[in-house]
Amino acid sequence: MNFEFEEILETIKMTEIENFDIRTVTMGINLRDCIDRNIKVTVSKIYEKITRFAGNHVKNADEIEKRFGIKITNKRVSLTPIAIIGDAFKRDEFIQIAEIMDKAAHEIGIDYIGGYSALVQKGISPGEKEFIESIPYALASTKKVCSSVNIGSTKAGINIDAVIKMAQVIKDTAYITRESLSIGCAKLVVFCNAVEDNPFIAGAFHGVSEPDVVINTGVSGPGVVLNAIKKYPDADFRTLAEIIKKTAFKITRAGELIGRKVAEKNGVEFGIIDVSLAPTPAEGDSIADIIKAMGLEDVGAPGTTAALALLNDCVKKGGLMASSSVGGLSGAFIPVSEDAGMISAVEKGHLTIEKLEAMTSVCSVGLDMVAIPGDTPVTTIAGIIADEAAIGLINDKTTAVRLIPAFGKVEGDSVDYGGLLGKAPIMAVKRLSSDKFFARGGRIPAPTRSLTN
Amino acid sequence: MKITENLIWELSNKAINTLGESASPDKIREFVENEIAKMTGSNQTGTEKFQGRVILTSFGVNRPGIVAKITGVLAELNCDLQDISQKIMQEFYTLIMMIDITNSPKNFREIQEELNKVSAEMNIKIFVQHEDIFQYMFRI
Repeated sequence: MNFEFEEILETIKMTEIENFDIRTVTMGINLRDCIDRNIKVTVSKIYEKITRFAGNHVKNADEIEKRFGIKITNKRVSLTPIAIIGDAFKRDEFIQIAEIMDKAAHEIGIDYIGGYSALVQKGISPGEKEFIESIPYALASTKKVCSSVNIGSTKAGINIDAVIKMAQVIKDTAYITRESLSIGCAKLVVFCNAVEDNPFIAGAFHGVSEPDVVINTGVSGPGVVLNAIKKYPDADFRTLAEIIKKTAFKITRAGELIGRKVAEKNGVEFGIIDVSLAPTPAEGDSIADIIKAMGLEDVGAPGTTAALALLNDCVKKGGLMASSSVGGLSGAFIPVSEDAGMISAVEKGHLTIEKLEAMTSVCSVGLDMVAIPGDTPVTTIAGIIADEAAIGLINDKTTAVRLIPAFGKVEGDSVDYGGLLGKAPIMAVKRLSSDKFFARGGRIPAPTRSLTN
Repeated sequence: MKITENLIWELSNKAINTLGESASPDKIREFVENEIAKMTGSNQTGTEKFQGRVILTSFGVNRPGIVAKITGVLAELNCDLQDISQKIMQEFYTLIMMIDITNSPKNFREIQEELNKVSAEMNIKIFVQHEDIFQYMFRI
């Protein structure tokens, strides 16, 4: 036989016991050819294009899942940022576009559709202003639509006016969706240095430089890395790095194969594989548990940031060796509500929002699925966004904020969404005023790092 | 077969010409959809055969007749068993087979379903996976 007994068993163990899965296979669809000045024509073109290309997306992915025995957890679609294709529209027309996206997503059977997005890192056009104002209503009147707005980049600086607008949008979304625990905020991401080929919801959109239709995949597998580390409780860091790299290599190879096959079956191009360790609320599928397995008492203990840096770097190295198509965010995700270990660390008071912020400077994404008190002022939310964006800006990396100022909730409460979104304990936020700082408005200029030519 | 915007445009024109006076948006849509279904044919059914080898892995409590049962089903399906290897640990067994399914009249999904029946009947686990997954994960 070409394969060793142990190799075959290892794969079965990864999928059956350690929750290894392909987290998402996301089809990116360009909508620039759907632009029309008549909103009715635009929405019918959008609906037609999504259902035409992604009509069999779920069925094809299921077929590939069966063939290789690797679970594909989510099938999704990302679109060209809607603010780009609808720049001539008003707020209510943008909401109609969100509704048609939702209808198409239901029709083709995917769980989320991304791309209700705008890129305003340097300035806001009148159409983008209308778009941003539409976000709370669009998220309230749809189930599957996800929204993201890029407010900063290393090349452009941080658009503070957009930061303030987005802080208000987050607050409004929390209020409008208050009946369902402010769930609208779980579908809204604010980015700095957003990437164009990210397959992960809620921040997925199909960048303007992408081909017409493309398949991007995101792998997962914290459980696999956790078990690999647990096998070597006394290994030194160099050995530990090797173990993580090897595991990431195997995960990435499997992900690339699945992505290529799904793309082939849909008759579209294969784009990238995003090598991210994305946790789920399931037992053992946790980044926090990996950090604990490295020898820290809990997440939040001194040493946490170093442990995460090691993990994140080794995942990237293993991934890069395994595939020439590594892209997207690629790193470790540290969402609070989607990771049982993180939830417990917050509930025990071991993990604060400030420590989380430090952790985001060494891993992908940022303050993800963090619930804060419902009465947090807009300028405080703006401050959290701006701090996170500054980390991305200076370090030339993607950072994101997905905050849930859960309406009517206070520190000590929690919001439970069930499923992949999980349960978010309300975290304490410093009660110091940022009002005067944000009253200045304008844009924080691009850093020296932007001048690389 | 790739469906392009132009193709749909051409088909819509063809529909208008064929339908003449009776053309309505619904009728044109129906006409175009039928034409596309004809062109893509079996591609849409998603159950096409594929060539190559699969790896079958099975575990469970050991008892007589497991290999006989599995290989019996494979023989009926005209699958070629190329290699087999097994280990026994206390009362449990682990079994791995490499099988060429190219000449089977059934497709991958149907073979998997037949083996699922064995799995349920014997109360054992059976996984069937295309060999490429192992090739990708363990070989450079």
